[in-house]
Amino acid sequence: MSEETSFENEVIESFKKVLGEKFVDGYVKGKRQVFIKVVEDAYKEALKYALEKWSAYHLTTITGIDTGEKIELLYHLLEPKSSLTITIVTEISRSDPKIDTVSDIFPSALVYEREVFDLLGVIFNGHPNLTHLVLPDDWPEGVYPLRKDWKPEQMK
Amino acid sequence: MNVIVEVKLLTEEKRMFKIPVGPQHPALKEFENFTFTVDGELIIDVNFRIGYTHRGIEKLAESKTYIQNLYLCERVCGICSAAHQGCYAQTAEALAGVTAPPRGVYIRTLIWELERIHSHLLWLGVAAHEIGFDTFFMLVWRDREVVMDILEMISGNRVNYAMNTVGGVRRDISDELKYKILKGLDILEERTKYYKEVCMKEQTILARAANVGILTREQALKLNAVGPTARASGVNVDIRKDVPYGAYDEVPFNVIVYDTCDVLARILVRVDETLESIRMSRWILEHLPQGEIRTNFPRRVAENEVLSRVEAPRGELFYYIKSNGTDKPERLKIRTPTLANLLPVCEMLKGCYIADIPIVLAGIDPCFACMDRALFIDENSGKRWVWDTKQLRKYSIKWYKEHGEEVVRERWKQ
Repeated sequence: MSEETSFENEVIESFKKVLGEKFVDGYVKGKRQVFIKVVEDAYKEALKYALEKWSAYHLTTITGIDTGEKIELLYHLLEPKSSLTITIVTEISRSDPKIDTVSDIFPSALVYEREVFDLLGVIFNGHPNLTHLVLPDDWPEGVYPLRKDWKPEQMK
Repeated sequence: MNVIVEVKLLTEEKRMFKIPVGPQHPALKEFENFTFTVDGELIIDVNFRIGYTHRGIEKLAESKTYIQNLYLCERVCGICSAAHQGCYAQTAEALAGVTAPPRGVYIRTLIWELERIHSHLLWLGVAAHEIGFDTFFMLVWRDREVVMDILEMISGNRVNYAMNTVGGVRRDISDELKYKILKGLDILEERTKYYKEVCMKEQTILARAANVGILTREQALKLNAVGPTARASGVNVDIRKDVPYGAYDEVPFNVIVYDTCDVLARILVRVDETLESIRMSRWILEHLPQGEIRTNFPRRVAENEVLSRVEAPRGELFYYIKSNGTDKPERLKIRTPTLANLLPVCEMLKGCYIADIPIVLAGIDPCFACMDRALFIDENSGKRWVWDTKQLRKYSIKWYKEHGEEVVRERWKQ
């Protein structure tokens, strides 16, 4: 077991070393799948480090999850040549969800951030065009369908 | 006066956005609206608006059980239904710690490859249609019926095969069926080889596809392009090789990469991949392991989170599932390849002629006919007008009849 996950553990250790106290948790979910949980203001540092040290240049998507008290953001990165998947996890406030855009590091985030904004109401500071992506233009403001307290029945 | 005109334009635009496009269209997940800023014939800037067929599948999945979600995920896309269902099934299996038996995995992989053949041939026909080469379109689609018949023989369905289940597949492949499939594959291989020759030699295709819709390798990497779109720009990425899943670590195959970065490269990547898929399907059938095709899957899944990827015909397809101990997932996230290729296609279109729009847009294989209508803004006069795909296609064929020669001559010079 230890040999099988040694590469994954090496990745986690490297993040732990660089981020120090900002590193919250690191776990392995399957082969070459690493999850790194960091505090809110270190997520960009972690993403930059994943890009520079592990050359995980491919941002697959950003997943937003409403956990009830917080909103969890998962940045899924991939480094194709060593099949390494790094997911940077961070939690932000649910009542006032705001976070800086990462489109300056990963241009493809422009689309994915709009999707998270649309469905969960997370404001990405510095995003050039934070408008509806999948919801209609006349969708009521402040209604976010992927939040757990929203039920489809509420839609007239 | 000016103000009134502006207001009028705005309301017109608003009205245009509201035109509903059938939310239950069988083929499309992404119905897009592109806004082109043009200077004469040249495209300066591109903006897109998607979401016309957003059906809230991710939300719905939270209220369905793991078994029900199989059939929900299958309906995300009609063309790559097996990719979606298979990806969901393999993610759910990893989530619950269940391993599907080898024969089940092989059959699942076979369906993935047969689907790639049908999807790429469908696309080849559409691409030919977009450049006005309808003879080619009809021939390709005629031969595509062979693979559709194979899929129907296996699963009973032409489009949504419902082959996968959590823990394996639902139907076995008998020896008699194997023989029929192999015969069908022979016909497909012969025809596809012929089509490859046509694509490489036929002036009708070369004139419209070579040096059109350039996406450089750097742009493809920077914008995280996926699938054949990335491989046509010289980026060697294929989830089947990079993050092997299913039986891909055992099946021998080559990753097809072209580096001319234009529409022609996208055509050739797909034709070569079709040939590769035919060979892979044959190999899988010949090496089909014996044994069970599925295993048990628990009704409730303990708290966990897992992500997985498959190489759908259009590129990297991504699923993420988080479970909470009940029989329903806490969160299901899907990222389809067309969404990833949206920014790259905007980049490709810049610098193209209006007449190139249909083929360049079709070049990324956006779920069939994404471009239901396009709005044009002339940069100099501020004039706006709206075209639908049909008008645009007619315009592009007519324009190339008039200007084709000089444009093509110029392109060949480069």
